[in-house]
Amino acid sequence: MERSWWWKAVLYGCAIILAGLYLVPTVVPEEKRPAFFKEHFTKRIQLGLDLQGGLHLVYEVNIDKAVSSKVDRLSNDIEDAVKKKSPDATVVREGRDDILVSFKNPAGLAGVDAEMLKPYRRDLDEISRDAAAGTLRLRYDPDRVAEVEELALRQAIETIRGRVDKFGVAEPTIIKKGTDIVVELPGLKQSDFERIKGIIGRTAQLEFKIVDDGSEYMKKLAATLPKDGPIKAEPESWTEKHSGQQHEDVFLRSKDRPGLEKFIAGLSGDLAVPPDRELALEEISPRDSGEAAPEKFYRTYLLKRRAGVTGEYLAMADATWDEMGRPEVSFTMNRQGSAMMEKLTGENVGRKMAIVLDEKITSAPVIESKIGERGRITMGGYGDPFKLQQEVKDLVAVLRSGALPAPLKKSFETQVGATMGQDSIDKAKFSMLIGAVAVVLFMLIYYRVAGFIANLAMLLNMLFMVSILAAFEASLTLPGIAGLVLTIGMAVDSNIIIYERIREELRHGKSPRTAVDAGFQRAFWTVFDAHVTNFVAGIVLYSYGSGPIRGFAVTLLVGIVSNLLTSVWMSRWMFDVLVSRRGSVAATLSI
Amino acid sequence: MAANQKFFEIIKPGIDLDFIGNQKYWIGASITLLLVTFLMLPINAYVIKGRGHMLNWGVEFRGGTEIVVDFAKPVEAGAVREALAAKGFENADVVKYGSAMERGSSNAFMIRLGPVSVLSPEQAKKVEVVLARVGDAVLKKFEFSEGGDKVYIRFDRAVEPTVLAAALKAAGTNTTDKGVQQFGPPQDHTYEATLVGMESEVRAALDAKLGAGAVTSIPQVSSVGSKAGKELQLDGIRALLGAILLIVVYIAFRFDFRYGPGTIVALLHDALLTVGAFAITYKEFSLTTLAAILTIIGYSMSDTIVVFDRIRENASRYRDRAFDRVVNHAINETLSRTILTSATVFFVTLAMNIFGTGVIRDFAFAMNVGVIVGTYSSIFIASPILIWLNEKYVAAQKRQAARPARRPVRRDEEEAVET
Repeated sequence: MERSWWWKAVLYGCAIILAGLYLVPTVVPEEKRPAFFKEHFTKRIQLGLDLQGGLHLVYEVNIDKAVSSKVDRLSNDIEDAVKKKSPDATVVREGRDDILVSFKNPAGLAGVDAEMLKPYRRDLDEISRDAAAGTLRLRYDPDRVAEVEELALRQAIETIRGRVDKFGVAEPTIIKKGTDIVVELPGLKQSDFERIKGIIGRTAQLEFKIVDDGSEYMKKLAATLPKDGPIKAEPESWTEKHSGQQHEDVFLRSKDRPGLEKFIAGLSGDLAVPPDRELALEEISPRDSGEAAPEKFYRTYLLKRRAGVTGEYLAMADATWDEMGRPEVSFTMNRQGSAMMEKLTGENVGRKMAIVLDEKITSAPVIESKIGERGRITMGGYGDPFKLQQEVKDLVAVLRSGALPAPLKKSFETQVGATMGQDSIDKAKFSMLIGAVAVVLFMLIYYRVAGFIANLAMLLNMLFMVSILAAFEASLTLPGIAGLVLTIGMAVDSNIIIYERIREELRHGKSPRTAVDAGFQRAFWTVFDAHVTNFVAGIVLYSYGSGPIRGFAVTLLVGIVSNLLTSVWMSRWMFDVLVSRRGSVAATLSI
Repeated sequence: MAANQKFFEIIKPGIDLDFIGNQKYWIGASITLLLVTFLMLPINAYVIKGRGHMLNWGVEFRGGTEIVVDFAKPVEAGAVREALAAKGFENADVVKYGSAMERGSSNAFMIRLGPVSVLSPEQAKKVEVVLARVGDAVLKKFEFSEGGDKVYIRFDRAVEPTVLAAALKAAGTNTTDKGVQQFGPPQDHTYEATLVGMESEVRAALDAKLGAGAVTSIPQVSSVGSKAGKELQLDGIRALLGAILLIVVYIAFRFDFRYGPGTIVALLHDALLTVGAFAITYKEFSLTTLAAILTIIGYSMSDTIVVFDRIRENASRYRDRAFDRVVNHAINETLSRTILTSATVFFVTLAMNIFGTGVIRDFAFAMNVGVIVGTYSSIFIASPILIWLNEKYVAAQKRQAARPARRPVRRDEEEAVET
């Protein structure tokens, strides 16, 4: 036996063992897997959306709107600054990017000098200045536009991720594609589709709302509650530090969030929440409340519906730690925001201000004194510190970059119910099985021992394909299965091309060994060319396709590579075993 | 020696059918089929009433909403259409859904609707008029983009979201109380209204007409904005042309110029005839179909390559024979492989066509057609073009030079194999 034969045996053996190892996490359920795999081989094939059901959404990010509102804000700032100097000035917006400043008295234009524009130098370019007419045109810097676009996209992705994570979807995929955002939520229950779509598409973010304490409404509501129901009314009180004034309030508490939400939604008639108020919930973890009760609970706040200040006015947000070492978010408001915040907090010293994030109260501290440009958001709960920090980071990502709202427009949606998924799996499995069995039988009958080698090569091909897919953590979709079946077809084709060639050589009177040599050698380029062309088609499919088509392209590409390996090289090696046994040469070949 | 070894053969090795001699009939047949394809497109669009499009574009290309609805009891497609029309969903496409085998037992329907969102542009205009004044507030801006599920409304002063939601409801749109909220800075007085999804509307419409609980489930919903649809259509054509171009470049690199045109024509032939099959059957032409066509192109290409490879090999071996005889011989020599491979792929995809569902079935149908035309085209389209080009350029040159053939028709690797 030739020396290279042994080398190949070792090489192929290693490849098969490695492929087998990669396959284990996909095939063996988690609890039965030895610890070794949990450390080294964790990647596995995910089932695609069409197989396990779920939601596939594509959103366009309305970038124009993001840019436009940024320019809006700059325009407001400029207006404030210019009007301080000359009240007869007008500042208007033109198009998406332009700000036009004009003066009744052209001389006023001189007041808008480099000094005044200095804070905006980074953002605005001076396009034209007409001293005679008293007009000045400023344009939002194109670099900034690009920056805003990029930030809007990134922020949108972060926001969506944060919201989806809170919803507890197992393996969400949220990726950027051009200026679109693709969201895939496999395994999502159909009953949640509508809700999560609402949550993802929502553009509201951070709001500061004043708590309406001591209201008659809450007292009235509390009085109607049964004593031992799941929802209890509880009084609270606090004293204003400086004036010593007492504040008293009543709130509702419950351990059951949906129950409490349902109760609030069901309030009507006399007990309906006043139109300018709303009842919002905060999650209280046991240690926050200083109680021994191990369970977290939810409490209500009666809020003034109109937000005093919103996240629009954020200038900066950072992850910091509070005095107890818990991660929190500290933020800085921009000029306009600080003014509004000062006004809001100044008028409401002693009351509570709720920090509302995506309609949930994150905290509601008492306003002890006027707050200016800085503030903090503490994350509720004493959960896992690592997770808490992650949450803080996510929040910072959302709040940063001026918290621009870039509205999302849904451009593509596919919902697949789980039943549909299971049904499709069964059918696909069945059709694949029938196809595979027919092919295997055919090869055995038609080519006998050689057919057995072909089938073995096909089996190895499947092993490699599936383990490569697992190593990439690819998700298996219906078109992906179609790709797998197609690969079987290609594997068969390669074998038939080679075998027919070997038969021809045998007919010409060659010995099995030389026939195998010649057959493989001559057929190789044919097989190779056929694979390359298919590979090319696969690459085009991958680069132009989306979702399901990509899944197909991935399996096709992986299949082509592993097919070359198994049908050409590995089966060649098996033929070598067959035709040249140690010391002797086989006289016949069953093909 | 194994020279007399018996093999299990379907196509005997000595086979010698005259493919090339009869080529004009085959080419004639192809041209007829291509003509049928080209005729079928406008016939679909303008003549046949139920069709109305050149191809039955899937929702990805057409834009719109596609909903699969499962009914508790058997219902007539007509009744579904009526129920939808009663709620304002005019011109809904309603077809039975499921594979051929289940069609008898399943009560599922595929409903295809033009719009993506509940609000049509005309309705949006109406809503705008109704909202002109809400309480004291005067409408400043009403923003709605077709295909979106949101409306942006700007007033000159603050409006309570609940009040606005009520006004929107009164105007005939469907939104929940929570669906309206403030958007952007408070002093902008801009509100964002999220509209209720299409499938809830459809379900309500069907339940209203066919009795509550008539709809057991909505297993699948897809919607695509019309802009995204157009882009996908363009992408698809680009992908098709890109793939063909790359493949041809590869062929030009591996073979020589005479082999190129035949393969291009064969590929286009296969792609077009598969499209033709979709035009005639009016099966849905979706992204998956496009993937299948690209696969067919790759597959047909490898089929052509196998034949061409043999032609190239034989052409250098039998230089004294007429080129068309060499081609015919090569086709016969590879016939066994061609038939075996095509038959296995055909039967595997046939199994998928019969037993699979949805996407798999569409894919398999395209593959079934493609395998047949792909095999056919390598023999009856690509090879005659190769002969014709050889006749026109190489053979003519030879005759002019009035010398024995000097030009080797092969590449280095061939030589390596020969030795």
